[in-house]
Amino acid sequence: MHTRLVRWALLAALVTPTTLLAQQRRIRGTVTDAADGHPISGAVVTVREGRGLAQTGDDGKFTLTVDGGAVRLLARALGYAPSEAPVAATDTLVNFTLKSDPLQLQAVVVTGQATNVSRRLATTSTSLVTGDQVTTVPAASVDKALQGKIAGANIQTNSGAPGGGAQIQIRGINTVIGASDPLIVVDGVIYSNVSVASGLYTVTSSGSASGTGPEQDDAGNRLADLDPNDIASVEVLKSAAASSIYGSKAANGVIIITTKRGLGGTPKATVTQRIGYSDLLRGPAPRAFTVAQALDLYGDTATINSLVLPNGKLPVFDHLQEAAGNHPLAYETSLNVSGGNDNTKYFVSGDWSHTGGIINNTDAGRQNLRVNLDQRLGDRLTLALSNAFTRTTTDNGMTNNDNAGAGITYALAYIPSFVPLKPVNGVFPLPAFTYLNSNPLQTIALASNEQTVNRFTGGATATFQALSGGRHDLKIVGGAGADIFNQNNSVFAPPDLYFEANQTAPGVSTLGNAESRQVNWNLNAIDVFTPSSSGTMSFTTSAGLQFEDRQLDQSRTTANGLLEGQSNIDQGAIFGQPFEFNTHEKTFAMYAQEQLQAFDERLLAEVGLRAERSSVFGNTDQYFIYPKISGAYRFPDLLGSGSDFKIRAAYGETGNQPLFGQKFTTLIGGQNIGGSAGTVVGGVAGSPTIEPERVREFETGIDMSPFHGRATLEVTWYLRHTTNLLLPVTPATSTGYSEVIANGGELRNTGIEAALGIAAVQDHDFTWTVHSTFSRTRSLVLKLPGTGFSPPSAGFGLAFGEFFVQQGHPIDQIIGQTAINPDGSFVVKSFGTASPNWDWALGNDFTYKGFFLTSLWDWQYGGLAQNQTLSLYDCNELTSDAGTPAGQARIQDCFDGIATPYVQSTSFLKLREVSIGYTLSENMAKKFFGSSDVKLELTGRNLLIFTNYWGYDPESSNFGQQAITRNIDLGPYPPSRQFMFSITAGF
Amino acid sequence: MTRTVHRVGSALTAALCLAAGLSLGACGGFNITDTNQPTQTDLENNPTKSKLAAAATGIFSGARSDITGFIWQVGSMGREGINLSGNNQPDYQEPYFGPLSSTQFGGSEWAGRYANIRTINVYLDAAPKAKDLSPQELSASQGFGKTMEALAFMYVIETRAGLGAPVDVDRPVTAPPADFVSEDSVYGYIIGLLDSAQTALQNADGTSFPFPIPPGFTGFDQPSTFLLFNRALKAKAEILRGTAGCGQPCFQAALATLPQTFIDPTPSSLGIGPQFDFSTASGDQQNGLAEPLDGTTFFADTFMLVHAQRQAGGELDARVLAKTARATRDPVWSIPAVPLPGVLKYVIYFTGGQPDLGKPVPIIRDEELILLRAEAEIQTGDLTDALTDINFIRTNSGHLPAISSGTWTSMSNAERINELLYNRWFSLMWEQGTRWIDARRYNLLGTIEPGVPGGQVPQRMPIPQDECSARNLPTNCDPLGT
Repeated sequence: MHTRLVRWALLAALVTPTTLLAQQRRIRGTVTDAADGHPISGAVVTVREGRGLAQTGDDGKFTLTVDGGAVRLLARALGYAPSEAPVAATDTLVNFTLKSDPLQLQAVVVTGQATNVSRRLATTSTSLVTGDQVTTVPAASVDKALQGKIAGANIQTNSGAPGGGAQIQIRGINTVIGASDPLIVVDGVIYSNVSVASGLYTVTSSGSASGTGPEQDDAGNRLADLDPNDIASVEVLKSAAASSIYGSKAANGVIIITTKRGLGGTPKATVTQRIGYSDLLRGPAPRAFTVAQALDLYGDTATINSLVLPNGKLPVFDHLQEAAGNHPLAYETSLNVSGGNDNTKYFVSGDWSHTGGIINNTDAGRQNLRVNLDQRLGDRLTLALSNAFTRTTTDNGMTNNDNAGAGITYALAYIPSFVPLKPVNGVFPLPAFTYLNSNPLQTIALASNEQTVNRFTGGATATFQALSGGRHDLKIVGGAGADIFNQNNSVFAPPDLYFEANQTAPGVSTLGNAESRQVNWNLNAIDVFTPSSSGTMSFTTSAGLQFEDRQLDQSRTTANGLLEGQSNIDQGAIFGQPFEFNTHEKTFAMYAQEQLQAFDERLLAEVGLRAERSSVFGNTDQYFIYPKISGAYRFPDLLGSGSDFKIRAAYGETGNQPLFGQKFTTLIGGQNIGGSAGTVVGGVAGSPTIEPERVREFETGIDMSPFHGRATLEVTWYLRHTTNLLLPVTPATSTGYSEVIANGGELRNTGIEAALGIAAVQDHDFTWTVHSTFSRTRSLVLKLPGTGFSPPSAGFGLAFGEFFVQQGHPIDQIIGQTAINPDGSFVVKSFGTASPNWDWALGNDFTYKGFFLTSLWDWQYGGLAQNQTLSLYDCNELTSDAGTPAGQARIQDCFDGIATPYVQSTSFLKLREVSIGYTLSENMAKKFFGSSDVKLELTGRNLLIFTNYWGYDPESSNFGQQAITRNIDLGPYPPSRQFMFSITAGF
Repeated sequence: MTRTVHRVGSALTAALCLAAGLSLGACGGFNITDTNQPTQTDLENNPTKSKLAAAATGIFSGARSDITGFIWQVGSMGREGINLSGNNQPDYQEPYFGPLSSTQFGGSEWAGRYANIRTINVYLDAAPKAKDLSPQELSASQGFGKTMEALAFMYVIETRAGLGAPVDVDRPVTAPPADFVSEDSVYGYIIGLLDSAQTALQNADGTSFPFPIPPGFTGFDQPSTFLLFNRALKAKAEILRGTAGCGQPCFQAALATLPQTFIDPTPSSLGIGPQFDFSTASGDQQNGLAEPLDGTTFFADTFMLVHAQRQAGGELDARVLAKTARATRDPVWSIPAVPLPGVLKYVIYFTGGQPDLGKPVPIIRDEELILLRAEAEIQTGDLTDALTDINFIRTNSGHLPAISSGTWTSMSNAERINELLYNRWFSLMWEQGTRWIDARRYNLLGTIEPGVPGGQVPQRMPIPQDECSARNLPTNCDPLGT
């Protein structure tokens, strides 16, 4: 009783001032490079599970003060594998030789909420991208920077806008109407990646407010708020066994982002200044008209004759260049400082970036401030704080689907090349032949689509070392975090715009506001039990709780009929189109997990269980269980001395949460009669017993790293089986509903992933590293109640190709009309899938003395897109080849309603990243910049594309973030390539 | 050894207890409801007088949602009128040329009615649970709901006739679909609802309805007067059931019910009856049939001019003169696919010579009640009273000369039926698809002119495709095997 009380008191006293009485001693040593023995400066030497920190100087030497008794020291340096060495109680000298680890084999990967393991010992497929790899070539947001770097992740941009969104799909499409985005965790805080519509549909009339309007706003997703310069590593959990620790939000994978933290030591500052520009990558060429052709097509003799030049020909204006031919400036200034001492380590960074858009008056900017702090409180407790404040501003212009005349690239598909658009004496001409009276250059000049997001993400993790030193090593880890942002949108189309004159109340001003609050906390206990002192076997038991609360409140309102020069919403003749939608979800989970390492880390096994309840499920008291089990066996030295060969298999279950609202049957208000307001039952019946979709996945693979870790190859095969798929089922209409949300379908995805890394040459002067990833995935709808249906936003009709979900076919198949039968009906066939057949990315990094050169090529093979932009150009006979027989044949297809030419292959070869630079020698750096290391770099993103796809970018999504219905190209923001020159200096 | 294990055990316990304490406090409130709009669950579990009043208003609104479509679609099939807007091919292709599809034109007049029936059933399930309704108010609500439900079923069975319809639809959406029952059973169900509603309305006598009544129901806005409407629907249902095979018993029942309605053989009362309201107010629905004379959508078929009888002075039947006018569009509107020029328009939904988007549509009028009585009298052999009623309509509504009793008795039964149907058509034209429904009831679809070369008059509207697929039946199914 008495002793138990003492133990309780010990545990309760979380902050214990230390009163160490043992004497202290100094340990000296040197840290050198294992390959050639040169000293490594800036390496950090610490005491494992104790106090004491030192940093090596330029000579590689360090002096460390430690407590008496035997200790284990750990030496770490960037680009090297860490090294540990025991130091006996009487030793005072210890030297470390660090092996370089270009392929991050020694990096640590997450295996549980608070557990991790060396990549070498992981039992599932791991994908790790370091912060340097993320920022090799600057990108507007993290997801765009990850393109081509993660096997099994299909990352595609939605449009070319600087603030445009991108979507990450991991291991195929796993849902129809459930959540489709992976979970993103930044420093333990669940990070919101929603995309909130701007309200552009109120100007473009692309769809109704309650229908597809907001989806076609080209909204950006909020991962754009994260400053890529802050990232230390990105780990992607792809298999269900790995991500089941995150439960029912992890069916689409988990992306764990860790930001940079101070290593301690003397303060080190890094300043980066970048400056660059972008220009249009590709787009449709104009059609040159002869006078005869113009008269034949348009017939308006007077107008056409008035446009003829003195030489008797019609002019050819390249309107795309006029609209999207900017060479805007981009700049970025970034500063970070890190340092600290034994007790406190800090990392502070600030970033200011601005990217102009190739369409005038469009841009994206971000200002970011981050403070990461690691504080030791006493012997056993450490606290890690991560906080960032970001302000993101974008103006995306007016693009995508349009029914009012506002869409810039949409209107370009209707305007022949001989019609002038540029302003004369400041007045924009009203084009003689155009779409709904619009002059896109006027729209660019006068309309605006502005967005500001203010965001704070903050988290704290406390680690309490309850037991150490003996057979048990027990840690209690607790974390809490909040991610809050506020998004303000202002969409404005003044009444002076010619297309607005068509409206009954010209001029539109829409204000939108969204507020998102995500809070999560978790509490974990992790115990590592090493039964025998020789350490051949260890058991890591962990258990814990997690809680998450997510809220998103959106609202929007519109004023029509504005006075000239006024944009306030109280200055409109008609005030209305109100919209408000609030969602709130809570999830609570408990988990337990056991990891085993045995036989000198040859046998690796993991088993775990997670139980979860959520407010979005029909039965909010019910816990859904997700088990996982995985194992691997290593054969060290199988492929030669110093090599590693591991074979692994994993089985895991995760779930996919339904979206908020799918369990409710709503009553539709606004049914007014005789002056009273009424409600009727809505057409969509929710499912009061709605359950998460369950994904069961089996994964197996091999990891090998021969030649002492100079090469690594990982191959993984997986099979994912999703059951309880949420589907919109069409019931018998006599039920009174037109749609019922029900759990019931089955879907399967199989695929292969491979990642190759070769440190081909590792000389003192010259190094060459190759990275390559390969992914391939196939889907199949196994079971579907009913005959087959078009998912929401499937397309624009069978005449142009449409998505169709059908049993026995891949989930993202596109069908369309391919021919006309003698009786006038259409032959409808399947064209294939929107997802590509496979994707192969190849990156090469060269360094020669101070110079370095990196490149990343991305080859996507297969896949289809609905090229609606081409159908616009064709049906208007404005494609550049319209005069040729091939062009005419295609135009006839457009008139006849044949979809074949408009469902195009999205195969492409892109040069995603290129970077060439020079690291100044230390003398030069000190002489010119007063700094210890300076790097000059020239980078290019999206420089080259080789594809047969017509028009803009084969990566497109008119409807934004969608599970299935991506790859619809309709008047998008054109793609651009970016060049940047950067100087990075360290102090 | 033991000591270490003990230490671990208690340490873990301590941690989990701490966690449990935190979790109990923080993890409450998982029943998050949808606050963005009212939900069906909320209405069913926590009904209040005001939520039910909103639902009742929704029932009124939903009931009138489909009437204009009913009028022009069934009217197209019966060659009363035609939709020549040209922007949706099935609108004229299916009723005039055929065949009727089960997805587009042919599959309509079903989903909206059943959606309304679902709203009514939710209302009827919720009303008894409300704590702030008096028993009489509850009775009044039930009487209202059941009457409106009967009305919705009537619109369904009038179009599908022999194919029958599912009636036991007040079941969870995840349950198997309700079985089809025969036309006679549907009418039986309708009459059952109306009689049950009668009891409820009689119980509610003395109180007002606990919800606002739209202006179209002025004069029928108390349980006692609403009952007159209820009885009128019953009389009509009995007659329709009579021609669907029931025969004499139903005609007798109709004759017995008619005195309990608002039937009134006064010339000025011919237009009296509850109406579906429309309005241009924000959020309200407009009467889409109110189109100017130069409009290009709805037109009246000129065949009526051929069939119209003449007044004593030689003019056409006064009903034609009152309800139609020449289209004023120049050049005359027509579409290439239909060789019928748009020369005649209906002016029924005009006020003061101008189309009135807020013009109400009658649900059932005194004029119709008199004609129903005439039909029942003819069928039960009471020719004298039948002639009185027919002549009342002829002289007061059509300004036609009365038929002498000698002529009347010397007419064959078929001729008398024809005279009845003529008067029903002309008195109720473009109000509820009368001509086609009557022709089908009396097996006289062959007398309706196809109107266009290669045209066909549809025999019945098919069951909508979703209804068939949900029962694993092929398209254009016939669940009862008629």
